[in-house]
Amino acid sequence: MSSLELIALFFMALALFARLLRLLIGPTVPDRVVAADILATITTVALVWIAHKFANPIYLDIALVYGVLAFVSVVVIARVIEG
Amino acid sequence: MLMWIALLTVIVMLGAAVAVLTLENYLAAVVAASVVSLGLSVLFTLLQAPDVALAEAAVGAGLSSVIFALALRRMELWKIK
Repeated sequence: MSSLELIALFFMALALFARLLRLLIGPTVPDRVVAADILATITTVALVWIAHKFANPIYLDIALVYGVLAFVSVVVIARVIEG
Repeated sequence: MLMWIALLTVIVMLGAAVAVLTLENYLAAVVAASVVSLGLSVLFTLLQAPDVALAEAAVGAGLSSVIFALALRRMELWKIK
């Protein structure tokens, strides 16, 4: 556990809480959709870090599937908002 | 350190679940429910169950939110406030 890793995790937690706040108090729906998309991105980074910690490349598949499917779901929700 | 990540994930899941219960807008509730399943996928990964996490990511993040959003569009229940 290097100190660089610790600093990166601290800032990831900071970004996580900022996006969670926007998800809770966001006044409009597009604010919440963008907040959920950024939460998915931060979670993908966290999944890659967990795969690095477990030293098992099978965990990378979860991050891959999650990144693709979060993109697809956000695109569909944007299409619904468009009308 | 993995325990701290689990704690952060559980806090995010709790906030998103409270948002699902309290939001008036259906589309925002669907988005918050996808965030809950996101945290659940991370928790399954931390418990070293990659196949369950893969199924949860595919169903919870992709399929269920897409189906909910398309159903809301079909039933004309969505609105931007």
